[in-house]
Amino acid sequence: MKVKIDKNKCYMSGECYYNHPELFKMDDEGYPIVLVDEINDDAMKKHALEAIEVCPAVALSLEE
Amino acid sequence: MSEATSMPPPLDPRVFDSEEFQKDPFPIYKQLRDHHPIYHDRFHNRWIISRYWDVDGAFQDNESFDRAMYKPDGPYDFGSRHVFGPNILEYGNSDEHRRLRNIVAGQFVGQKLQDFLPMIDQISEEVIDRFIDKGEVEIVSEFASQVPIRVISNMMALPREDEDTFVEWYQLLIAGLGFGGEHLTRGLQARNDMWDYIDPLIKERSKNPGEDLLSRICVAEIEGSRMTVEEVKGFISLLLAAGGDTTEKAIANMWYHLLYTRPDQLQDVIDNPALWENVFTEMMRYDPVVHAQFRYTTREIPLYNDVIPERAGVILYLGAGNRDERAFKDPDTFDIHRDDLHMGRENRSGRYKDGKNGHLGFGIGQHFCMGYAMARQESAIACSKLAERIKNPKGKMADHPGISSPNIDSGGFRSPQDLWMTFDK
Repeated sequence: MKVKIDKNKCYMSGECYYNHPELFKMDDEGYPIVLVDEINDDAMKKHALEAIEVCPAVALSLEE
Repeated sequence: MSEATSMPPPLDPRVFDSEEFQKDPFPIYKQLRDHHPIYHDRFHNRWIISRYWDVDGAFQDNESFDRAMYKPDGPYDFGSRHVFGPNILEYGNSDEHRRLRNIVAGQFVGQKLQDFLPMIDQISEEVIDRFIDKGEVEIVSEFASQVPIRVISNMMALPREDEDTFVEWYQLLIAGLGFGGEHLTRGLQARNDMWDYIDPLIKERSKNPGEDLLSRICVAEIEGSRMTVEEVKGFISLLLAAGGDTTEKAIANMWYHLLYTRPDQLQDVIDNPALWENVFTEMMRYDPVVHAQFRYTTREIPLYNDVIPERAGVILYLGAGNRDERAFKDPDTFDIHRDDLHMGRENRSGRYKDGKNGHLGFGIGQHFCMGYAMARQESAIACSKLAERIKNPKGKMADHPGISSPNIDSGGFRSPQDLWMTFDK
């Protein structure tokens, strides 16, 4: 599973990388970078799902 | 380049304790930015950062600038310095902080916030009803300090018939924090009365929780266990001070600037209520409620020609960064039509798609104000509701002593002490 970021929707709220630094970090402009390419353990999946839930821009999703 | 090579004019650190600084810190801020971008205040044993991008950088670099006192060989030292006991603001970078923050953060944004908006409308109207026939209002006590506390009281689902009593306790408590002396004695009494009142409610909601904010705090589990009654009280105090007091001061400051700093722009806002959001944003840049944030270094920080040592106290003067010519044109001009300030909603990242700079008034990053969206909406709604119902608003006094921070123990929250406005209906 991979986390996908829709940069058109993302408005750089920062909620994903500040709430889940295990999985995201901020790039130079303010967009998130996904740190874990392939999500395969439960702990990381939990971070991903929580980040998707808190994203105010609805810009994150999980892809098989 | 001359800044770095010539000897800067000396700055006496005792100026930070002066009344002059509490009233008008901006000339000192400019001196700091221009000549001491990193200032070692030996008198108070702390360092000061004041330029926009340096304050931004420190907020972003949470690993190096910790909110809590850093102890390499022990736990965080929280709770000891706060009259309300331990609270989330002192949990620094720990996982505890993220967990505590997440209990309540969701209440103040998104759909939850949207659901609360009709209640904010209604409370604003009720508060305005109380003075609308008088033709004048003292904005601080009759309007600004009334709305946010009633909103929080509703979010916690306290009985509405007790709201006036709750407002009275709150006002005494805030005055106690701000002015000390006999105000402090009365404030502590009000705090105790408030605790006695809320104690059975905490016990009841812990057993039979509802959807309200108080219930959520009561049943939230931190590492598998709930907070104690005392911790819940500490958490509520924080919401009252951080959510009520700051928003109240934001509302008062917005009216102050329109009545006294830029009366020429007051009519623009009355003609176009959407501009209340701009008034809020420009107030948060020009003279925000909170001007300083404290951090402790976790490593040596080289900056300009100096090095901040590890475990040093650092003041991030966001109030100074907001007036930095390096980030904003004519920074000392209050202008709600400013084209170089991001005017929409604030981002925790401090970065915006329009490429403009944001104000630093909510901080940035890990400790970004979690009530930012609530504060913005509540201020804009309350102000526009009032503006809708009055004509020809004017400051009652020809001269006003202006905005100041009454006492450093109040957290330095800046606002006018009182603000009289006359109006026609």
